[in-house]
This record gives sequence, C-alpha cells and structure tokens, in this order.
Amino acid sequence: MRVIVRSVSELCITLGTLIVLFVVYVLFWTGVRADGAMSDQIDRLHRQWSRGSVGQAGAAGGRPAAAAEPEPYRAGRAFAIMYIPRLGATWNKPVLEGTGRDVLAKGLAHYRGTARLGGRGNFAVAGHRRTYGDPFKDFPRLRRGDAVVLTDGTAWFTYRIDKGPYKTVPTDVEVIDPVPRTSGYTRPGRYLTLTTCDPEWGHSHRLIVWAHLDSTQPVEAGEPKALRR
Amino acid sequence: MYGWIWRHLPGNAWVKALVSLVLVLAVVYVLFQYVFPWAEPLLPFNDVTVDNQ
Repeated sequence: MRVIVRSVSELCITLGTLIVLFVVYVLFWTGVRADGAMSDQIDRLHRQWSRGSVGQAGAAGGRPAAAAEPEPYRAGRAFAIMYIPRLGATWNKPVLEGTGRDVLAKGLAHYRGTARLGGRGNFAVAGHRRTYGDPFKDFPRLRRGDAVVLTDGTAWFTYRIDKGPYKTVPTDVEVIDPVPRTSGYTRPGRYLTLTTCDPEWGHSHRLIVWAHLDSTQPVEAGEPKALRR
Repeated sequence: MYGWIWRHLPGNAWVKALVSLVLVLAVVYVLFQYVFPWAEPLLPFNDVTVDNQ
C-alpha cells in the first residue's frame, strides 16, 4: 500500500516538474534561441551587404523601375530587415523566404509566391505573436499611418499602414492576394501585408494589417525619415 | 522509483548526490534539446499564417 502511494506521488511530482520545465521552454527558452538566431541572420545580412554581393541583381532590383528580372529569394534565407518604429525604436527583425516552422523560428517569414519587396503586388509577411522572441507581440498597437520600413541592402522601402489590425479566420487566404480582399484597396499597387495569430496565445483567428509603398530611396541616401528620431 | 534509483547509485551519499545531479542535468538537456522541440509544434503558437490550414 505504502509503495503504491509513494509511486503515485512521485509520478505526480515528476509530471508537475515536467510541465513547469515545458512552460519554461516555451516562454523563455524559445525566445533565447530565437533572439540569437535573429541577430545571427541580421549580422549575416550586414556582412553580405557590406561585401557588396546583394544577390539581387543590383540596385535596380526591387525598385519600381526594375528592368531586369531579379534573382528569386532563396527558401529559408534572410533577404531583408524590417523596422517598425511603433513596436519600439530598437525593433528590427530579419525577413526570410518561406513560412515553414523552421523559418518562423529565425525571424519573420515571407509568403512564397507573393510579391517581392517593393514590387508590384502584395509583399506578405507572417510573424510569431508569442514565443520565439515575441516579434509581433504588440501587433494590435499598429495604427493607420504607422511606418513599416524595410531594407534589402540596396534600398529603403517605407510602407504606410492603411488598415488594421483586421481580425479574420485562418482560412481567409484572400488577405494576401495581390489586391487583398476587404483591405479597401481597389486597384493593383505595391502593397504589404503582415499576419500574426490572434488571440495572443491562441490560433483561432489571425490579425492582419495592410500598407502601401509610400517611398523608396537608395541606401546611399541614408535612413528614411520614418526611422530618424 | 527515486528511492530505488538512490539505492542503486554507487558510492557514499556525496557521490550519490553528485551522480543524481548529473543525471538530472542530462534529463533536462534531453528534454530541452529533443523532447520539447518535438512537442512544441503541437501547441497553437506556430499558427501565424493564413494558408496552412
């Protein structure tokens, strides 16, 4: 009898410890790993850009007046850095190609098949709301007029948010269409869509914001106004 | 269970304590490195895209 009671209580304690450890892993350790991975990606981008090999067919690559077809983004590789001043003056995250789980653990994820950065159509990006560094934790604070600034090493792209955060269901894939449904855009243009999950710790819905390309400038011209303080 | 392990560890109490500490650390390492990364995708925090449902 005593053996049974002891075994059961030991089992309960073990299970409890296991759950606590798992919570620590999800809330804390994924963040530590993701922060490391994201700064690695950003360092790698800076190194790549400073070597001059941008891998995107020159400065005209993502610009409105692009003539030659630029090199496609490589799956799982970072190709841009995103800055959103509303989420914090030091908030900057790498953007990687593809939306796989391994990609989302290293930064923001660009939907494959959507437009290129600064290109015609819809440049759609997903990010974690919670865990893995909480990149989009403050997503609901985004407002109309907020700047979303990206650089691919050759140019700065400043997008301005027009609508959002808009709550929808996970199957609503039209939100990342070239002219997103319910976004209010009626004509083709250069748009940006950000998606994350909602509620904060759930997955029943998605939060969306839409932005349009407001201005573009070469990196030689320095940081865009939206980033200057 | 733990009593059984304790009795089967070699050496005196100090050695036993040291060995158990190493064992605990090894278990935590295996959990963080292999078990939790496998279990974590079963939670909903990864569902941030609109197309994978």
